[in-house]
Amino acid sequence: MLRYLLVLTFLFQFFTAQSQEKVTLNGYVRDAGNGEELIGVTVFIPSLKAGTVTNDYGFYAITVPKGTYDIQYSFVGYKIENVKLELNGNTSRNIELSTEAEQMDEVVIEAKPLDENVASVQMSKNTVNMTQVKKLPALFGEVDIIKNIQMMPGVITAGEGTSAFFVRGGSGDQNLILIDEAPVYDPSHLFGLFSVFNADVIKDSEIYRGGIPARYGGRLSSIVDVRTKDGNNKCYEVNGGIGTLASRVAIEGPIVKDKSSFIVSGRRSYADLFLRAAGEDNIVYFYDINAKVNLKYNNNNRFFLSFYNGRDVFKFGGDFGFNWGNMTGTFRWNHLFNDRLFMNTSLIASNFDYKLGLDDAISGFEWTSNLQELSLKNDLSYALNTKNELSFGYHLTGRSFSPGHIQPTSGSSFFSELKLEKMYALDHGIYVSNQQKVSDKFMLDYGLRLSVFQNVGTADVYLYRDPKDNVQQDRTDTLHYDAWQTIKTYVNLEPRLGIRYALDEKQSIKVSYNRMVQNTHLLASGTVPVPFNTWNPSSYYLKPQLADQIAGGYFRNFNNNMYEFSIEGYYKDFKNVTDFADNAQLFFNDDLSTEFRQGDSWSYGAELMLNKKQGKLIGMATYTWSKTMREIPGVNQGKEFPANHDRRNVVNIQASYDLNEKWTFGAAFTYSTGRPITLPEGKYEFGTYNPDHITDRNRYRLPDFHRLDLSVTLNPRKNLSRKWKGQWVFSVYNAYNRQNPFTVYTRTKEDDDGNVVGDGTEKEARLIYLFPILPSVTYNIKFNCF
Amino acid sequence: MKTRFLNIFILSLAIALASCDEPFKLDPKQTVEKVVIEGLVTDQPNRQSVKLSKTNSFYSTGPSPRISNAVVTVSDDLGKTVNFIHNPRNHRDSVGIYIPEEAFTGEIGRTYKLRVDIEGEIFEAEDMLAQVSKIDSLSYEIDEDEVDDPEVEGKIYEVLMYIKEPKDEVNFYLIKFYRNGVLTLYDNNDIYISDDEILAENIDGVAGPTIYGIGDEAKVELYSLSRRGYVFYSDLSNILNGDGGMFGPVPSSPRTNLSNGALGFFQVSAIQSNTIKVE
Repeated sequence: MLRYLLVLTFLFQFFTAQSQEKVTLNGYVRDAGNGEELIGVTVFIPSLKAGTVTNDYGFYAITVPKGTYDIQYSFVGYKIENVKLELNGNTSRNIELSTEAEQMDEVVIEAKPLDENVASVQMSKNTVNMTQVKKLPALFGEVDIIKNIQMMPGVITAGEGTSAFFVRGGSGDQNLILIDEAPVYDPSHLFGLFSVFNADVIKDSEIYRGGIPARYGGRLSSIVDVRTKDGNNKCYEVNGGIGTLASRVAIEGPIVKDKSSFIVSGRRSYADLFLRAAGEDNIVYFYDINAKVNLKYNNNNRFFLSFYNGRDVFKFGGDFGFNWGNMTGTFRWNHLFNDRLFMNTSLIASNFDYKLGLDDAISGFEWTSNLQELSLKNDLSYALNTKNELSFGYHLTGRSFSPGHIQPTSGSSFFSELKLEKMYALDHGIYVSNQQKVSDKFMLDYGLRLSVFQNVGTADVYLYRDPKDNVQQDRTDTLHYDAWQTIKTYVNLEPRLGIRYALDEKQSIKVSYNRMVQNTHLLASGTVPVPFNTWNPSSYYLKPQLADQIAGGYFRNFNNNMYEFSIEGYYKDFKNVTDFADNAQLFFNDDLSTEFRQGDSWSYGAELMLNKKQGKLIGMATYTWSKTMREIPGVNQGKEFPANHDRRNVVNIQASYDLNEKWTFGAAFTYSTGRPITLPEGKYEFGTYNPDHITDRNRYRLPDFHRLDLSVTLNPRKNLSRKWKGQWVFSVYNAYNRQNPFTVYTRTKEDDDGNVVGDGTEKEARLIYLFPILPSVTYNIKFNCF
Repeated sequence: MKTRFLNIFILSLAIALASCDEPFKLDPKQTVEKVVIEGLVTDQPNRQSVKLSKTNSFYSTGPSPRISNAVVTVSDDLGKTVNFIHNPRNHRDSVGIYIPEEAFTGEIGRTYKLRVDIEGEIFEAEDMLAQVSKIDSLSYEIDEDEVDDPEVEGKIYEVLMYIKEPKDEVNFYLIKFYRNGVLTLYDNNDIYISDDEILAENIDGVAGPTIYGIGDEAKVELYSLSRRGYVFYSDLSNILNGDGGMFGPVPSSPRTNLSNGALGFFQVSAIQSNTIKVE
């Protein structure tokens, strides 16, 4: 009953608000230097205590009663822009913000808008500070936003040297990673040492780990939304860098000044060039290409076309090799129907594939696998009045999964051709949400997403005598489905709710609830996904994964928004979380469905964060305590066990300090409880082998993980009139040379020369650790405005 | 074969990336003792045996504890039962090994059932004797990799196998390589198994992993496996060559046909072999 009353109240407020005479102010907010649209700029009207923020396309719209107002546009790292406007009718006003000159601290403004940390309804969200990331130490000097995301509260890593991350108890495949709205199915280079995102072209990246807005769907645990730069539309710019491992260059500039611009960038590792020259057969390299053009046709129509392609290539001894890569393309159209109604339509394509092959007359083969996706997204936002901002939209995605195809590469090969059944799916998402300012204190964001997922033909679905028997996979029947014929439809409603209660201008309490549904599942049985894992849609056998999460927190800013503090707690309940039978065979299995096991998981935790975003010293310190358990029939004999990524205590600290124009120092420290691991309780004899005797899953833990990284950035003070600037970044990874555990394996005991000790019955356990202390140097160069 | 290949590959990559590994002291939380059964029935004379032992602590040296007081029988699906008796010749190396009281050979297509009674605790398993392809011939050639970087000085020859794989039936294979009568693995955790799903009909000159020198006698044995047997060896290989569940699967005990929580396997196989002398 209470629920209906609330709904009625909202409706009533809509109409009462509508009946007054209103005008709408809208426009884009841009960087004055390069014309880039700015995401998340606060637009605030002190006299009304009302405001909004620019959306993902830099657009804002606010509806207010007629009148004359002082309007503030503020954004971290930029000078606050105050504009006085007489709003007698609907008004469009584009604003340019210039980057702040040195001392931001001295600017004192009264009635400063509330900082996003406290003011926004959104909780459990962090933004990667792109300026700061470049000042922080990085492995081999490669700036990596995924590594930065791994430092955020509530985010857990599997260890170093991996791009995998785990958010609030979720598995590695429960993160939706988007580049210009296109999903990236494997964001790793070199098995995760680096991510695919080239920091030179990234404008903004955000991670949502709770209170996820209704416009996002498809993954249970987090959304990582990476937006690339549009390119300078005022003058040409070249940025480049020569690193220890890879080099990169980005060129951007106007096509038509202020109207249209482009950016093209490339990055490639180059160690293989030296190895090749040295006659080495084993070759490893990766590359990334990003390209984007945009056209501001007029204030009501903008077009963007963005493209990404990246690949890793490994070759061993000239004949064995493999490679994997992502390719994405996004076409976007931003359209303003009227002063209040903004629409973004995107057409998105994404492809992930891998190939593995041996080039040999007798044992030659090529194994290929891919996942392709095409989607249409239509998102609209409507600035109803000062109190309500509606968002709604429709997403349609078609996916095709090709899990594997082995072909002999020569007529004399002992391999025969084998092709696993392709799978197809259609995914519909419809959502509506409203952000409502109920009073100065109360703000709500409520929405509903409807997910309709269809697994469709062409397909042959096998029926089994026992669908859970993964040894004797006796098929009893085959159900044939024609093209587009529905095999299974899964309909789920995903309610989303966020509540903010402002205690005063400096502190607020927020609560959120979200339900998420996931219909694409990564088939990976290890802790860290590898590119050879394949994705599967929800199907005849595989049910959608569900997660319900409630979170609450206290948010407080200190010292005129200089410091942001938050403490959040969450409880997350997972249903049908996808796991696999003990000893599951996930590669090239025609009867894969017999390996699926789905069950329950639950996770809870607390996250503390202190963040300083302005001044000479900027940084973030976080502490996370969490616990994640699983209980899945058919896994670990049905007994509950800690998830592979259950690390109880995690501390992350990162900071940079601008000493002067010449020198900047950076430091990052990370500590976490060792990850759970399954270790032998003993061993036994079978033939000439001495296998481990394994009992319970994840009963042991690796030793704790901790590491300190340091960096120094040098901007040589040179001729100021010169058109280019150079910059040196020196960094030291693992400064105190900690031997951090990566994994433990067992083997027959060997002496130092690698010879088996004694009769070969003796065994030993070995701990693998990856990186010792590693210094690196990067030289960056920037040609400005020519 | 295909999984092994990938898992080993991933592990070796992880190790290659790793700048170092060092000893790690395991501290098992419990001492569980489990029965381990290694049973074999074949279509060849004198190749039937059952070995009974127990699990051992991880850091122990020497053979694991043996069980010599069990009652062991094998019966076929025609109702014929053979008793297996413990170490009849009282051989010191054969403690824990049971052999048939009266000699028999397995027949293709028959199902065999093992029953082990250890002080009233019963362990059972059954497996089917599947047909195996003939190894038509063997040849040998110089393995260039071994010339460049010999694993064993002077052993630079690899043996090539020629087998016709029947595509109209489902087969699983275990292959063993002998050098001068001694079972020889390239690496002591290697298991050579294959299903026939990705095998072509003509296997012409596929190289074995074992290396030979001039004068060595190379023998190759091809065992048929049931699907259960193939799954067991594949799991065994995973646990022997795992990476602790980082990229590869979380380690777990191999799936077996034995009841009552026993470890090991009761394997029923047909065997074909061929021999060549490297000259």
